[in-house]
Amino acid sequence: MKVQCELCPKRCLLESGQSGECRVRINIDGILRTVVYGFPCSMHIDPVEKKPFFHFLPGSKTFSLATVGCNLHCKNCQNWEISQANPEDSEAAFCPPEKLVELTKSYDCQSLAYTYTDPVVYYEYTYDTAELARDNGLRNLLVTAGYINQEPWKRLLKFVDAARIDLKSISDDFYREVCSATLKPVQDALVLTRAGGVHLEVIHLVIPTLNDKPEQIRGLSRWVRANLGSEIPLHFLQFYPQYKMRHLPPTSSKTLDTARDIAMEEGLDFVYIGNIQSERGQNTYCPGCKKLLIERIGYAIMQNRLKEGCCPDCGKEIYGVWK
Amino acid sequence: MTRRKFIQELIKVGSAIIVGVYWLAEKASPRKFVRALRLKKYPGSIKPLQDVYKQSKWSG
Repeated sequence: MKVQCELCPKRCLLESGQSGECRVRINIDGILRTVVYGFPCSMHIDPVEKKPFFHFLPGSKTFSLATVGCNLHCKNCQNWEISQANPEDSEAAFCPPEKLVELTKSYDCQSLAYTYTDPVVYYEYTYDTAELARDNGLRNLLVTAGYINQEPWKRLLKFVDAARIDLKSISDDFYREVCSATLKPVQDALVLTRAGGVHLEVIHLVIPTLNDKPEQIRGLSRWVRANLGSEIPLHFLQFYPQYKMRHLPPTSSKTLDTARDIAMEEGLDFVYIGNIQSERGQNTYCPGCKKLLIERIGYAIMQNRLKEGCCPDCGKEIYGVWK
Repeated sequence: MTRRKFIQELIKVGSAIIVGVYWLAEKASPRKFVRALRLKKYPGSIKPLQDVYKQSKWSG
């Protein structure tokens, strides 16, 4: 008997024995099964800045995990060895939600980050762990492309404290050609996250010749400001040749600086540059008085001048979760 | 056959056809799932828990 997976907008229709595009959700005898529940392929303790979250508990450690699989097939994927892997060809540890929560607490981490691949495809594992983590006083961070249907996303958001969502382009053609996905569901997920009161940061990987034109950056920045608000942090990340896009050069620091300038011209308050050293693109400045608030070098916090989430000089409240 | 009996037969046959068509349509349409059920056995190989302090090579 055929089954249809209603988790993501691809809505894969599966014959018995067939797996979805994500490779990890399979029709077994007319029942949809997830093969990665409780089996992370990767677990690490990372600084929260690596996700990147710059406005969420700065300097804290987060217990990060992923399973194999992804519902997108981005030609530039930095983690393609796990995101595009078949479960049967991969190695994983056995770690049910209870064990994850226990490990997170034992390593003195304040949060769990569901990251590296995409928590959308290990939805049930993420959901159950997040619910248990919340009961244990831990925070839940999602690092995702946001390609998910609205109902399951709303249900998951109940247990999410912060989401870092990729907005890969403002062009639907880009999503179709580079990621084998579409733009609208991602925009819907971003808007729902914001409306749900979950802390949100947006990243945009700037790929030479594909999405680095000033008018594209301007359009994306305008969309963020109009639909999510000027205080949402936007991170422009350097592309590095990977996977099926080894023929393109890395993004230049000049292009990233220009992108940041454009986004700030468009009225965004917090615009960062990542994957590359950039003094002004790594620090947080007060949008009111323009004074330095948080100084970063790489993932390290050199100074944090915020007082109760406010600028110590002009008193402006700064968007974020600070304690 | 009286007119009343004929109408009763017609209703019976019509109802049977409707039930049959509905049953066939149900069989033909896929079962829809949002939440998948877990599979207890991993199809790949199982490794022991790794050193979580080791720097991750993955982005994100």
